[in-house]
Amino acid sequence: MSALWMIFGLILRDQRRAMLRGAALGLIVLAMGVTLLGLSGWFITAAAAAGLAGAGAAFDVFRPSAMVRFLALGRAAARYGERMLTHDATLRALETLRLRVLAGLLSAPHDRMIRIRGAQALNRLTADIDALDGVPLRLVLPVLAGLATQLLALVALWVLVAPVIALWIVGGHVLGAALIVAVAGRVSLPLSRRAEVAAQAVRTRLIDLIRARRDLAVYGRLVAQAEAVQGAEARRRDLRRHLDRADRRAGAALGILASVIAAGALGIGMALVQAGQLPPAFAALGVFAALALAETLVPLRRAVSDLGRMADAARRVGRDLADPLPTEAPVAGGAEGDATASPLCLADVGLHRLGTGTMLMAPLSFTLQPGETLAITGASGSGKSTLLQAIAGLHPVALGRITLGGRPLADWPETDLRDRLTLLPQRSTLMAGSVAEALHLAGPADEARLWQALAAVQLQRLVEGRGGLSARIGPRGEGLSGGEARRLALARALLRRPDVLLLDEPTEGLDEATARAVLCGLRDFLPAAAILIAAHRQVETAFADRRVILP
Amino acid sequence: MLSVLGGLIWPLQAAVVAWAIGHLLAGTGASPLLAAVAFGGLGICRAALACLAEAQAQAAAEAIIAQARGALIASEARRAGDSPFGGAGSVAALAGEKLELLGPYVARYAPARARVMVLPVVILALAAWQSWAVGVVLLISGPLIPVFMALVGLAAKEASARQMTQIGTLNDGLVERLSALVDIRLLGAGDAVAGGFRRQAGDLRRRTMAVLGVAFLSSTVLELFAAIGVAMVAVYVGFSLLGALGFGAWGGSLTPEAGIFLLLLAPEFFQPLRDLSVAWHDKAAASAVMDELAAHGAEEGVALPGTGGPAARLAGPASLHLRGCVTPSGRPLPDIVIAAGERVALVGASGTGKTSALRLMAGLELPPQGRVLVAGQALTPEMADAWRARLGWMPQAPHFLTGSLRQNLTLGRAGDLSDALASAAIGAVVEALPQGLSTRLGETGAGLSGGEARRITLARAVFGSPDVLLADEPTADLDPLTARLVTEGLLAQADRGVTLVIATHDRTLAARMDRIIDLGDGT
Repeated sequence: MSALWMIFGLILRDQRRAMLRGAALGLIVLAMGVTLLGLSGWFITAAAAAGLAGAGAAFDVFRPSAMVRFLALGRAAARYGERMLTHDATLRALETLRLRVLAGLLSAPHDRMIRIRGAQALNRLTADIDALDGVPLRLVLPVLAGLATQLLALVALWVLVAPVIALWIVGGHVLGAALIVAVAGRVSLPLSRRAEVAAQAVRTRLIDLIRARRDLAVYGRLVAQAEAVQGAEARRRDLRRHLDRADRRAGAALGILASVIAAGALGIGMALVQAGQLPPAFAALGVFAALALAETLVPLRRAVSDLGRMADAARRVGRDLADPLPTEAPVAGGAEGDATASPLCLADVGLHRLGTGTMLMAPLSFTLQPGETLAITGASGSGKSTLLQAIAGLHPVALGRITLGGRPLADWPETDLRDRLTLLPQRSTLMAGSVAEALHLAGPADEARLWQALAAVQLQRLVEGRGGLSARIGPRGEGLSGGEARRLALARALLRRPDVLLLDEPTEGLDEATARAVLCGLRDFLPAAAILIAAHRQVETAFADRRVILP
Repeated sequence: MLSVLGGLIWPLQAAVVAWAIGHLLAGTGASPLLAAVAFGGLGICRAALACLAEAQAQAAAEAIIAQARGALIASEARRAGDSPFGGAGSVAALAGEKLELLGPYVARYAPARARVMVLPVVILALAAWQSWAVGVVLLISGPLIPVFMALVGLAAKEASARQMTQIGTLNDGLVERLSALVDIRLLGAGDAVAGGFRRQAGDLRRRTMAVLGVAFLSSTVLELFAAIGVAMVAVYVGFSLLGALGFGAWGGSLTPEAGIFLLLLAPEFFQPLRDLSVAWHDKAAASAVMDELAAHGAEEGVALPGTGGPAARLAGPASLHLRGCVTPSGRPLPDIVIAAGERVALVGASGTGKTSALRLMAGLELPPQGRVLVAGQALTPEMADAWRARLGWMPQAPHFLTGSLRQNLTLGRAGDLSDALASAAIGAVVEALPQGLSTRLGETGAGLSGGEARRITLARAVFGSPDVLLADEPTADLDPLTARLVTEGLLAQADRGVTLVIATHDRTLAARMDRIIDLGDGT
């Protein structure tokens, strides 16, 4: 619940003016609707009374009938304005929210980043945030506007009709609705939370089925996985049925409440008229106002049925927003570092294995000069990749210090660090799009430059053969073999033109000759860069000027 | 039907109110209790009928959605590869939130149409019975509404179709960006990517607002018609009751009861039309979804041979024969004959069809041309499952399922994992994980190095004691020591008599095989 308020607060802060204007228009719409029906009832009854009394000529018909027309037209116009305004403001606010979540994930710690599963993070970003549009549109604004209308009606009916009728109508609506919402909420909140979990399970399992369908087929698990999706779907359907039933009951209860209150208003009004305490026209006003005020109950039903889904989504999205937004560290001294200092220097650096306190490797020291290539070798699991990640600022340093251009790594602001240093991780992900788009992720570069980088990684012929830089790459690099994808990722890293290039097993998936050509190509492309290779192949080690062996 | 019945109760309630107020004006005594009970009782009947009608409609909607979703899931499970319709994100979006859009259409459109057929006619008749002038007013303003609605509906359908496509693309793009978070960060492209996403999201917002704008505009126009109609009725009734208008009613002048009755009826005359207009937009959204469903269904694509379910192992020698086969991309493969128990390396430059050849051998696809013979017989969809039951499979890029490491290793098969872990030389690594076999895996084997993830797929392959082992680049990512361990693991399987086929660039590994088949240099 508090998460919901936090999200609403966020949306309100982002789109305060539009939201307030929308809320005001919402109130106007409801108030005009109630006035319209109340006035019409009064007008006709009063006209009838005047007609019966033979005083028709003295009765002022023009002002009430002009009011009726004005209210009718004004209400339609106000509703249009209110809808456009609040929907646009909500969509804008949700867009901001989406971007904040994406930014939050982009600046998340590395281990968290690699654990974010595409399917789940996607759920959070799209479905959850889409669900949150209901917070202002279907929950807070209509309930507030309805409540305000009821209060206005209380005052108007108290003055114009009778206190007892005012209390019956407004008190009955507010208390009755509160009771119905509380009971329905208690039933449907946990149900809709569970239904949402089931819906997410359907989605995650379906995505797993699509992505891993070949592996599943070989192991005879494809049918079982499809059944698992269908199983989650059956559970979702079952919960949905229960939820629909609770929803219908709440709707029926609200409908009955409206009828009972109008019936009561009629009965009380009649009794008062017969007792001579109220003119018939005002009794009619009360009945008609009660009928019109039932409109404030309509959004409650939707709010109740969506509440669980929204609360759940707000909690999850709130968790991601709780991470501080990326803030640029204050730039102390020149961000350029010392030009004469060696590009990269490690002094007694020790690292912990991720998530544990055990040391991954013995303290390590080395210095790398411009134009020099250093290979790090060692058995799988000896910490080569982790060391490169630590140098790239993705893994915490447990002991010693790493300096880049004479400045401690920790003092480098993210943007400057990425300009100076590029890591090609063991696994790169290519996105769907053209070759040029894939390369442009590294920043703007002209076509000649792109071709140079492609030539350096021996991809020039392949790309030419596929129709040039506009050749399409499928989702997740589909259409390229493992080795081709690897080389395209390498070309992308080269285009960053870093001073320090960290390569994690760069020639994986390449045959001997291509691997050698690629290594020479990248050195030619970046003659002055300090290159550090986590090497597992003879061809990589042989290419390096020096090597460090991790025990 | 029930919803029509519920709608017919309102004129009775209106009559109760009109009767009560008429008596008040006449000063004759009518029981307040009777009026209240009659009105309230009718209201309760109305709510109950509406509730029942909704129950029917919702059940129908759920049935339709469930059927469509079930068919979609089943069709995805039958494919050999991704459908041209889109990736996992697009399909998941279609099966998820987009299909839900069919619900409001089914649950609201048909009942709304039934109400439009009956209620306005009944109310018109009742109104005309009281006053022909009111009947004329309603008759004129009523039919204009569907005409306008039809025009707006056409525009809305186009706009919402455009919005649909956009949602799918946005979701696909987002899945990719999220899978590539690390790359984006390392390339310093966070701002650029966020900027691109901002543009896409802004575009979607504008499209959504265009759809909503049309919807709101049409409902506003409807409301205006309804409001003008009601206001005209109210003004006419008021003037008549004052005696200023002497026409329109049968037999001279309007009684107060009739006036109140007409005023209460007028808004209900328009209500079914307004309900239908809301449902009309549901219909527009639903038919856009139906088009996408049809597009997905139209692309049956290459079917997976067999079902992908468990099967008894196929009898016969563990031999393989590709005869005159062509890869799906059209590249001819040489004839490949592999005898039971043989150890073979497929080598060749990148893109020469090593992976495709392995997929053909695994019966994951049937060749567009040529024949695949396994265990001495032609590979057919009927026996593909039985053939695959004999296989161990190491793909080049594993996708780990959402779940624990243990689930990913066993894939639901019973047995002891420790042997499999030992033969893949991964036991120690698993023990060192904070939660061991219960560790939940990230999308590309997060928390494990590339070599470790590769060895997990070996352990998974070995776990089922296969008698044919197909491995795509089993030693890529591995340092010489670990590569040797994996090679020994593979060869140990071969020593058990397992037929071993390996696609590799690794000369050392290839040299350990009995035979090397070169697929060429890619030209």
